[in-house]
Amino acid sequence: MNALVIAALLLVLLTFSYQVGWSRSRKLAGNKSQHLHSRPIYHGVLAALFAVLPAMVIIGIWALFSEQVTNSFIVAQLPPETAQLSQMQLQAAIARVKAIASGYGVVGEPSATEVVAAQVFASYQQISFLAVLAAAAAIGAGGLFWAQRRIGPRLRARTEVEIFVRIALMACSAVAIVTTLGIVLSLLSDALRFFSFINPLDFFFGTTWNPRFQSAGTGSAGEYGLLPLLWGTVMISIIAMLVAVPIGLMSAIYLSQYADERVRNVVKPIIEVLAGIPTIVYGFFALVTVGPFFAAAGDAVGIDINATSALTAGVVMGIMIIPFISSLSDDIIAQVPRAMRDGSLGLGATQSETIRNVLLPAALPGIVGAVLLAVSRAIGETMIVVLAAGNSPVLRFNPAEPTSTVTVSIVNQLTGDADFTSPQSLVAFALGLTLFAMTLLLNVMALYIVRKFREQYE
Amino acid sequence: MDMIAGKIKLTSKTVDQSMNPLDVLERETRLSARDVTVHYGDKQALFGISIDIPDRAVTSFIGPSGCGKSTFLRCINRMNDTIEGARVGGSIKLDGDDVYDPNLDVVELRARVGMVFQKPNPFPKSIYENVAYGPKIHGLARSRTDLDEIVVSSLRKAGLFEEVKDRLNEPGTSLSGGQQQRLCIARAIAVGPQVILMDEPCSALDPIATAIIEELIDELRENYTIVIVTHSMQQAARVSQKTAFFHLGKLIEEGVTEDIFTNPEHKQTQDYIMGRIG
Repeated sequence: MNALVIAALLLVLLTFSYQVGWSRSRKLAGNKSQHLHSRPIYHGVLAALFAVLPAMVIIGIWALFSEQVTNSFIVAQLPPETAQLSQMQLQAAIARVKAIASGYGVVGEPSATEVVAAQVFASYQQISFLAVLAAAAAIGAGGLFWAQRRIGPRLRARTEVEIFVRIALMACSAVAIVTTLGIVLSLLSDALRFFSFINPLDFFFGTTWNPRFQSAGTGSAGEYGLLPLLWGTVMISIIAMLVAVPIGLMSAIYLSQYADERVRNVVKPIIEVLAGIPTIVYGFFALVTVGPFFAAAGDAVGIDINATSALTAGVVMGIMIIPFISSLSDDIIAQVPRAMRDGSLGLGATQSETIRNVLLPAALPGIVGAVLLAVSRAIGETMIVVLAAGNSPVLRFNPAEPTSTVTVSIVNQLTGDADFTSPQSLVAFALGLTLFAMTLLLNVMALYIVRKFREQYE
Repeated sequence: MDMIAGKIKLTSKTVDQSMNPLDVLERETRLSARDVTVHYGDKQALFGISIDIPDRAVTSFIGPSGCGKSTFLRCINRMNDTIEGARVGGSIKLDGDDVYDPNLDVVELRARVGMVFQKPNPFPKSIYENVAYGPKIHGLARSRTDLDEIVVSSLRKAGLFEEVKDRLNEPGTSLSGGQQQRLCIARAIAVGPQVILMDEPCSALDPIATAIIEELIDELRENYTIVIVTHSMQQAARVSQKTAFFHLGKLIEEGVTEDIFTNPEHKQTQDYIMGRIG
């Protein structure tokens, strides 16, 4: 309710100040002897910005600090011994008062002091809300007054609005960067805490993964060798690529070079549907259909294949990645200039000779970039592996046996009761950091290669 | 078999160094087109083109942009096949073989009819590999020495060998525009074609490179049937013995180059040559 009122009032302020700026500059423009630097619309926008932004700042500050102010106000209303309560009990007491004030009621009979505090609090809430609104309105009006006094033929309103636009756009892109940075920093700090328990050498080069689940502080912390998980990740990614790269690439070649437009218009969206299937669905497809199929097929030829294995997870993940490879390669092959293709066909090369000898070599750097991007997806993939790889973090080289990956181990360490002080859960951050570093490296490599390819024909 | 026999006959003929312009009328006909029409989807691009193209001479197609001259050129080696929605009607005969005969192998046709494109389009491979590409595909060389020989002689015929002999392993794209275009000509020659189609081969080149290519075309006509599409009437006058004028998808006039430029029969041709349309 309050938020709605604030939004409505801000909107009114916005419209009003825009109108003021616009009409005032129109009046100036009507006077033929003066030539305005900027069109009235810019004066309107500038006036609106000057009025609304300060008002929003006031409301923003209130939103940030009102919680603390309110709480200390409530504590002040309650008997003095309340302040001596523990943090948790204090919170509970404050929540009781708030609940009574809002009329929702509380468990048990409210005490007399509580009722009084609630009444005072309710009126305080109204007054403070109105006060903030008044402050915002005053600041907004001040801003508007100042802005409309500035309006004159020489005011470079257009330039100033342009600066505002640039700052706003910059702020938006900063959000993405700051978020990434924050994630990396929090990963890093928690990973460092983990390394205060476990020697980094034991983590990066250990060959045993056995994080015994014990309550923190009882001595034995378990073993945290990364290698079995890393190997599982690498093996499953390799299997996935062995499935996805040939099939994806071939279908891209078919669609871009052989298929006529009608076929392309039907087949391309269907292939891309594969990319839209949730990975959990792939996961149980692997668990219920593909795994048992491989086990039965292995039985038939006398090979021992486990239903949940690196093979199952890798093959299904490969199917998931096919559309990724095929649509990227399709774009890249289409970027090879038509003149290359015509030159080869004009010499009497067949279509497949042209593809093999001219198109693919020319597109190769781009295709390598696409494959690296796909690899970093495979490395980060979780749901399929959780369900289909067998969750057995042991260093094994046979793809037909169960394995586990870095992502699966993160899931295992963080689901259930995690208290974030023991190495058992902190290890997840070290794993996450490793994963992040790997995919970052692959992405940087891929982008570098793709960019190099682009320069070739421009 | 027929194709190889044709080639031997072709190269064994004595070459006349100075060709009287009017001799073109007495040349055998290598290519003959009758009532050729082309549709791109619903749009008709060519309306009943009939023309004979003489052996071992340069025939030029002139006309304003969009008049269909390139479209017709691309019919001759069936490059229009690669454009979706293009339909070709009528007949084109190369030494009596119907180019659009369903039994005819397009690959073999394109080995007999080479093509040079508007923009130099060397493959992103070495100079050597660019020229060796065609012979390798068609299995023309039995050994590495054979292949070397074909590459060197093709580069020689294209007048490029002296300039690139020390850097055959450098990428073809490192050459200048004019050199790249001569590399593309060498690439076409290496397959041993009878006919070479050139689609505005000098439009992306500077005047000096253009002069070198024109000289080369003049030399090549001693051994090949050359068809060139050009925007430049001066070029058509300089290099060709026969000229055909296209306008709005129709062949307006064709004949000995000198006649077309000095004494055009049709008003449209005259207007174009005088620079009034186009």
